[in-house]
Amino acid sequence: MSSRSPIVASQLVRHFGSSDNPVRAVDGVDLEVREGEIFGFLGPNGAGKSTTVRMLTTLLRPTSGTASVAGFDIVREADKVRRNIGVALQDAAIDPLMTGNELLELQAVLYGIAPSSVKPRAGELLERVGLTAAADRRVGTYSGGMRRRLDLALSLIHEPTVLFLDEPTTGLDPMSRVTLWEEVRRLNKEGTTVLLTTQYLEEADQLADRVAIIDGGKIVREGAPRDLKAQVGAPTLLITVDHGLEATASRVLAEFGDMRPTAEGTLGVGLAAGARAVTDVVRRLDEEGIVVHHLELNEPSLDDVFAEATGHRLEGEK
Amino acid sequence: MSTSHFSPTHLSAVRSSRALSARGMRNMRRLPSTFIPTLAMPIFQAIAFSGTFFAITKLPGFPTDRSINWYLPLAVIMGSAFAGVGLGFTTIRDIETGFFDRLRMSPTPRSALILGPLIMTWVRTVIVVTMVVIVGFGFGARLTGGVIGLLCLYVASIGLATVSAGWGLGIAYRFRDMRGAAIMQLTLFVVMFLSSAQTPLYVMTGWLHSVARVNPATNVLRLSRQGFLGEVTWNGVWGGLLALVGGSILTLTFAYRGLRGLERD
Amino acid sequence: MTAAAPAVALRQTAAMSKRSILALVRQPALVVPSIVFPLFFAALGTSSFGRATGLPGFPKVDSFLDFSLAGTIVQGVLFGSVQSGSALATDIENGFFYRLLASPTSRLGILVGRLMGAAAYGAAQTAFFTVLLIPFGLHVKGGVAGAVVMLVSGGLTAIAIAGFMAAMALRTGSSEAVQGIFPLVFIALFFSSAFFPRQTMSGAYRHIANANPISYLIEGLRDLCITGFTASACAKALLVPIGIMVISFSLALRSLAKRVAAQ
Repeated sequence: MSSRSPIVASQLVRHFGSSDNPVRAVDGVDLEVREGEIFGFLGPNGAGKSTTVRMLTTLLRPTSGTASVAGFDIVREADKVRRNIGVALQDAAIDPLMTGNELLELQAVLYGIAPSSVKPRAGELLERVGLTAAADRRVGTYSGGMRRRLDLALSLIHEPTVLFLDEPTTGLDPMSRVTLWEEVRRLNKEGTTVLLTTQYLEEADQLADRVAIIDGGKIVREGAPRDLKAQVGAPTLLITVDHGLEATASRVLAEFGDMRPTAEGTLGVGLAAGARAVTDVVRRLDEEGIVVHHLELNEPSLDDVFAEATGHRLEGEK
Repeated sequence: MSTSHFSPTHLSAVRSSRALSARGMRNMRRLPSTFIPTLAMPIFQAIAFSGTFFAITKLPGFPTDRSINWYLPLAVIMGSAFAGVGLGFTTIRDIETGFFDRLRMSPTPRSALILGPLIMTWVRTVIVVTMVVIVGFGFGARLTGGVIGLLCLYVASIGLATVSAGWGLGIAYRFRDMRGAAIMQLTLFVVMFLSSAQTPLYVMTGWLHSVARVNPATNVLRLSRQGFLGEVTWNGVWGGLLALVGGSILTLTFAYRGLRGLERD
Repeated sequence: MTAAAPAVALRQTAAMSKRSILALVRQPALVVPSIVFPLFFAALGTSSFGRATGLPGFPKVDSFLDFSLAGTIVQGVLFGSVQSGSALATDIENGFFYRLLASPTSRLGILVGRLMGAAAYGAAQTAFFTVLLIPFGLHVKGGVAGAVVMLVSGGLTAIAIAGFMAAMALRTGSSEAVQGIFPLVFIALFFSSAFFPRQTMSGAYRHIANANPISYLIEGLRDLCITGFTASACAKALLVPIGIMVISFSLALRSLAKRVAAQ
């Protein structure tokens, strides 16, 4: 493991409850998040995501194992870790009696921002997350999306190099979710390494360069979403052709992989060589004089990956 | 790793404490329902006790002939004790909402997380003491020990608020829900009443006398009453000061260890 | 209401009473304070004010414990009745009350059952305090007859106070609002002869205690304990709570009718 990676965890374990019969919330997690990437931590409720994040963000000490964040040990150098990370928590833990501005200014003091920079920095961040107009309203009056955006602004007060987002969009409407994604991408482009936990497959798929799937306190898969899906199996190509040409088309398709069961009137093949075989398929069909009316390539989803790795499906279990 | 323009070079426990206590004061103004009972209760207690037990001063040897002079310091002291416990309440709420995690994740010195709210509690206590004393004077209380005597009352109040705040925080960090609130309230209530709260030691009989004699709360009450029962004497002061310093060290250590313990489970 | 036969109504009311008693028994956190606090103050008072019984204005008593029993009982019953009232508000908050309304249970039964539950608890508290304090030197001069009157008085007082709480619960539907009355109950108790005789008080405080019906209730109970079984003691111990009960019960009935009509 590279010691320069912003997040490195080795055999991280966390037990809760009595020592004779502990609940093993996190059960030996190895993790490496590389500089500049968005890393998705995917798993159902209670899988150990939040506990892992609470350890990496110094809120909780590991039962055993080690981890470093931003180059510092999370136990021995907890203070240095805290100086370098930004964290947006699952429930957007913000005091409803305070205004957005007051919260940012408090956060600035707690993070040791120079007194002369506090106000400009707060204003800049409010502007960035589009809350300037609501800056002097109590947070209790904010919508769910506004709270998350404020939470994000709070986590950025000290320009952290590593950002933890714990279920940043859980409970948000689709519009707010997309706005938040855009902001995360923008931050990442500016050089911030991001670790985000989520129980939404789409979120991991859309945002993350790499994902780790956690279940029962253990990481069961890790890699780029595309690679993980590729490991599950070949993508399925679906085509429809003129009536009467199905037999010829089937013969052509069979050259590229195993035929797959499909709905009436559609032909399907599992592309053994992956998505890049599509152009060859189309060229071969053209050579045979077959006109393709409809073409669709279905990648295995992360849910398929999850199901293959854990034996149960993530979506629909929330 | 890129260095930030906003590297934490201005981190200080004092600055963070000030910001946290300002937050507490502001929230108190914005949610007066958390503050008003802590003001109303001691005022009621001062009036109700001195009215109900009006005749107690007629006992031979009683140190004052005004029942309000005896019960006003008690009410002030009880109010201060509950101001400290009130900090325990708000901390439990911060833990339950997760706001406290935000504070813990910041690189600010841990001492600021205790000191900030504690300063707020002191300010709050001074406000309560002042208002209750003013009402008490309206109901006939008279200062016999001069400004020094009044100072004794303030010292006892702030000291006891510190002790009970440490106790409240320690319990809040350990229980983290409203069960903790019941425990901190009840224990304090019992300790405060098993003392010379209602009558002087010499009036008591039986078991209560034995308990109250060794209860440090009796010393604190003696200190608080210095200005209301004749002259201030060093004899009446030092025991209270000792109890408050010792108690504060104990409960604040209890709180600090509890805060550290949050990482452990 | 389908079944209006008195026997059915009675059975329903009994079932409601049983439910409200069980609710108290099963939630010791609700019950314990209304038992422990009065006893704590009784113990504290006996040791603190033991020597005060010789003060002018004090009735002739053997011990401060005998004197304080009445205050202990009323204090306990008052605290306990606040719980009964807020339990009704909780029923409204969580919708159970409306399920009862939708059932053929009589409307009156819902209210009376609650109050009967409170009465049973109040009487039980009275018995418990009396029996528990006997080994500590309590002596009830009124004898068994006096103790029985005290028991009945405890029950009636519970209905009287729980009636106010029920009225508040039915009016607001909020257990927080009902709990909010608690300080008022506390004030009413302190501005009476619960802890010290009225005769030792002075000025405005004494005037308030003189006007406070709770003073007379307590003095009735107290006379049963420290003087004996007398007609005036019985009258005070029984008529005062009955008087309060008439007022609070009619308030509760009005609030019940309003809530049912608003449904």
